[in-house]
Amino acid sequence: MIYTDMVCPFCGCLCDDVVIETEGDRVVRVDNACTLGTHKLMTTRKDRLKGPIMRDGAGGWRDASYEEAIEYAAGVLLDADRPLLYGWSSTQGEAQGLGVSMAELLGGVIDSTTSVCHGPSILAIQEVGHPGCTLGQVKNRADVIVYWGCNPTEAHPRHMSRYTTYADGFFLQNSFRERKLIVVDIRKTETASIADEFVQIKPGGDYAVFSALRAIVRGRGAVVPPTVAGVTKEQLEKIAEICKSAKFGAFFFGVGLTMAPGRYKNVRNAIELVDELNRHTKWTLTPLRGHYNVYGSNEVFTWMTGYPYAVDFSRQIAFYNPGETTSVDILARKECDACLIVASDPGAHFPRKCLEHLASIPTVLIDPAQTVTTPLCRCQIPTAVTGIDASGTAYRMDGVPIHMKAFLDLGYPTDTEIVGRIFEKVKEVRHP
Amino acid sequence: MRITLSMRERKNPYIPVEAEKIVPSILMKGTDVTVYEGNKERRLADLFEITVEGEAASVDEVEVVLRGDTSRVKRVGEYMDGGRITVEGDIGMHCGNFMAAGTIEVRGNAAGWFARELRGGTVICRGNAGHYCASGYRGEKKGMRGGKVEVFGDAGDFAAEHLSGGEVVIHGDCGDMAGVEMRGGTLTIHGDCARPCGNMTAGTCTVLGTVLGMIPTFERTGEIVGPDGGTLTAFVGDIANRGKGKLFIRNFQYLE
Amino acid sequence: MNELLVKNAYVIDPINRINGEVMDIAIRDGRIVEDVGPKATVIDAGGCLTLPGGVDSHTHVCGTKVNFGRYMSPEDMRAGRVARRGVKHATSGYSVPTTYANSYRYAVMGYTTLLEGAMAPLEARHTHEEFSATPLQDMMANTLFDGNWGIMNAIRDGDQERVTEIVGWTLSAVKGFGIKLTNPGGTEAWGFGKNITCIKDEVPNFGVTPIEIILAMIRACETLRLPHSVHLHCNNLGNPGNYACTVGTFNQVPDLNEKRQTLYATHVQFHSYGGSDWKTFCSKAEPVAYTVNNRPQIVIDMGQVMFGKTTTMTADGPMEFNLYRLHHDKWSNHDVELETGSGIIPVYYRRKNLVNSVMWAIGLELALLVKNPWQCMLTTDNPNGAPFVKYPEIIALLMSKKYRDAEFATVHPETGSRVVLPALDRELDWNEIAVMTRAGQAKALGITGIGKGHLGLGAEADIAIYPIRVGEVDPAQEYRKVIDAFSRTKYTIKRGRPVTRDGEVLVHGENTTIWVDPKMGPGHDISQDTEFVKMFDRYYSVRMSNYPVQDEYLKRSLRMETEAVF
Repeated sequence: MIYTDMVCPFCGCLCDDVVIETEGDRVVRVDNACTLGTHKLMTTRKDRLKGPIMRDGAGGWRDASYEEAIEYAAGVLLDADRPLLYGWSSTQGEAQGLGVSMAELLGGVIDSTTSVCHGPSILAIQEVGHPGCTLGQVKNRADVIVYWGCNPTEAHPRHMSRYTTYADGFFLQNSFRERKLIVVDIRKTETASIADEFVQIKPGGDYAVFSALRAIVRGRGAVVPPTVAGVTKEQLEKIAEICKSAKFGAFFFGVGLTMAPGRYKNVRNAIELVDELNRHTKWTLTPLRGHYNVYGSNEVFTWMTGYPYAVDFSRQIAFYNPGETTSVDILARKECDACLIVASDPGAHFPRKCLEHLASIPTVLIDPAQTVTTPLCRCQIPTAVTGIDASGTAYRMDGVPIHMKAFLDLGYPTDTEIVGRIFEKVKEVRHP
Repeated sequence: MRITLSMRERKNPYIPVEAEKIVPSILMKGTDVTVYEGNKERRLADLFEITVEGEAASVDEVEVVLRGDTSRVKRVGEYMDGGRITVEGDIGMHCGNFMAAGTIEVRGNAAGWFARELRGGTVICRGNAGHYCASGYRGEKKGMRGGKVEVFGDAGDFAAEHLSGGEVVIHGDCGDMAGVEMRGGTLTIHGDCARPCGNMTAGTCTVLGTVLGMIPTFERTGEIVGPDGGTLTAFVGDIANRGKGKLFIRNFQYLE
Repeated sequence: MNELLVKNAYVIDPINRINGEVMDIAIRDGRIVEDVGPKATVIDAGGCLTLPGGVDSHTHVCGTKVNFGRYMSPEDMRAGRVARRGVKHATSGYSVPTTYANSYRYAVMGYTTLLEGAMAPLEARHTHEEFSATPLQDMMANTLFDGNWGIMNAIRDGDQERVTEIVGWTLSAVKGFGIKLTNPGGTEAWGFGKNITCIKDEVPNFGVTPIEIILAMIRACETLRLPHSVHLHCNNLGNPGNYACTVGTFNQVPDLNEKRQTLYATHVQFHSYGGSDWKTFCSKAEPVAYTVNNRPQIVIDMGQVMFGKTTTMTADGPMEFNLYRLHHDKWSNHDVELETGSGIIPVYYRRKNLVNSVMWAIGLELALLVKNPWQCMLTTDNPNGAPFVKYPEIIALLMSKKYRDAEFATVHPETGSRVVLPALDRELDWNEIAVMTRAGQAKALGITGIGKGHLGLGAEADIAIYPIRVGEVDPAQEYRKVIDAFSRTKYTIKRGRPVTRDGEVLVHGENTTIWVDPKMGPGHDISQDTEFVKMFDRYYSVRMSNYPVQDEYLKRSLRMETEAVF
């Protein structure tokens, strides 16, 4: 079978032009996707658990039925004084919504992987707003592109060909020649090697460079010292001039900015630079979101609770305070006494201290495959992968909602189904 | 009136307790109030041994004393409008937030968001304060608006963020970005700090130690004599933000 | 069979010309019927004011832009925080509340049907997802066509048929309800940071003018036989002197439809400004209302401003940037490729501010100067002028000169020289309020035929019973009682089921999404047109096959099929 216009469940680009060819329930060919997407689609069955597993009491695993695993998951969540429901970025919107309702009824904390990637971007947006646009707007109009603290060539391989450098658009018939590319990073990445301007900043210097650029753009460059974080004033003035003379500028940034010292203040300063540039010409800014539906978790959480991530329902109201209600902080302080992880792999990303706590409390993982997180858990429930054997909703990094389509049926229940069944058990005990 | 709350031993001492009722004006009327331990509602007496001595005609005659491991007790002194709270050990997050009058003294360390959005009164920490000491809340333009916060140890990152009124004194060092987005009030740091006052629009910040990573968009205007008699370099900024804040620094280094 | 009997209801039902009759209302399976059996559940209205469920014909409650307003405003969420209880979800927010908060608050005020004022087609799925989480109101979405490339190209080429085909296909694909034009042409100009000042300016790069867009869309709307007319947010919103553009636009609108208006102009308060700058800023509600009074083909809504904090959000991206430059508070913008834009900033309307005081007066003036209440709907353009929870106060202001005078005494002292409000003695009656808050709105939206906005036999049993007895209260004097009554129904009944009682939410709710599916006949399917497909392939960032909203996004769907007549 050949499936066209399929949606890739890898990164926040959510490419929706993928062609997949299957033979039986095997994928034999993937067209249009990048290497990362192709790999995910070609290895759909790799490491997948056959069914739920639970600890056997002797340090090993035993097989369990879905019913038993679901019962166990509901039990530990109900018993907890501070349950944490974490993950939610590589799953369908429908499951995210159920997760929020369940957290609300349990009096738990619900958080997505946002808190370890673009949480700082959101905090910045909450201070100064977000001048953004859909990616097609960039493709059709932008004649200056900035990539700051990110390396799309490796992390979002089709970003440049679909939306920026290599993408021809309505107002740019020969994109590669007509667009200027500025790359800012602490090291010369692969993306930097094709840039018209590469700005190499000393680690931790992003904030200072934004401040300097803002002052230059508003005509107060005289206060700026001769070098700022390793960048000469001359180069800063050149960059400012390119930005001001753009017809449409698009600023993209990644975790290189959000996780550098200063975190959300870096992003705030970037946004305020873009705001300042809008007094001269048109500029927009877009965070390069990682997981394909991490932005969806922010959207769903927001319309349901008012907050994009890190929502604490312990008082039956929604409370939000990243740094306090974010998963890493809760785990590091050993606050939570049970954890449900859905569609994410904290084992691969969280600090050791957090993982030690995860391993010391009843942790249940809902994930299709065995991951680095598996050994930290007491129970794992495998589910279908959205975009492969489950359909559902995802939000692209620019907020465009896309319907993900399934092309295989491997017999696994969806995340929505499993979260829904756990929620049903919770409701039996705590009927609203 | 002296109300002493001694924390009982808890089965799981890591679960946070939210206790916004621990305020003199509430407890003087009775100690049969509830607090939350995680998602469970508890009576105050379940978590604390309570003794009440003497009487009070007004809130200003009330002292609440917290004893034992209160490092996980949050929101103590929230909206406090008079009286005194003494914390003998460490205190959890958001101590003294929105407080309008009275005094809080923490003899140990204070966790994050100490004296957040303070409006009046005096809040003292004898030990170290965590991140966001005397700061604001996510998305709000104004942080602390009045009163005084004094930390005798060090403060974490983002101290006095969004400060818009009142006085903040840190006797030790501050972490990164103290006084960022400041728009009023005064901030005095006796020790060292990194990158203070980015994006400030108004207010006064004095650093008697050394600043690392000095923000490059402050305009040097001269020198003044500092409160300790030594010379300080005077700046105005943040120029990136059309700011007119004042920044006085003993020593500074740019990230060049 | 589910039966309900509302007894002793003091009914005002303008569409059925019932103005204050005490009667019983029988309901079976969600519809109003002649009578019910003895086993029907009985609700005693006790002679209280009973109206058809409220209809808001222009509000912003669901979708990308609204959610971004929430996302960027944790400070707004600190207000209106209510704990989860019973069937109710926890709620947060005042000017940009969560979907559940919107739904509960509207229901408590007796509103049962809402029109989301602006849905970008590319992001329609998002709006529909939030509709599902707004459970106590039936929902519909006005679909944005103000900067649509396919349409502008067709207009430039003089191909009206193609305009109609694109509109028809798009509405059907995204499950939209009506045509919304927000600053037509202006949102495209904003793509390069420019704007449009009025209807005769040329849209950069597309060679069309806003008035050409407006008129072509009116023709398309009527050809497609859409229930609602074109819904227009005029060019040049919020600028001194913009009333001339508004009146100029209204004067170009033909009268093409017997059943309803040909143009619905929204939040006209923001478009009725005189003066040449902020110093000379003044009300021009009179010439605008005069134009409306002389042109029955036009219906407007107030877009009333009320004092306090709120969040402004509109597809009018360039206008929001100008506001940002005035306020220098946070600013969000979201351009949507080939279609439209949007912007969001928080604002605080202050009594002490002359411009804000004049704005407050203009909305009221419009409502009082437009003679026919069927031509002026009560709205705040929620949340732009104020959050919708202010509606009861607006009702009271319109019903009481005394209240208006009391409020006027608190606004900026110079306001009197800029407005005519103090000279207006008109006090609206209960029937007129019923028109402006439900009957007129349902008629303007073209949904009376599906049983909205009235209580006749066969109508949807959406009913609001307010705790006030009309004969016992003089609204001109006792305006506080009016505010209290409209703030909280005794009962709100949705599709025959009580959903709130004395402010308490009783059920989870299950709403319906109303959308329009125009049938255009063979030869008119634009999705088969090579040029159209090529434009999609080359310039959109999603594939055409992934663009339409699947049926599964609508939990309950009410499809209004129309037959286009080319």
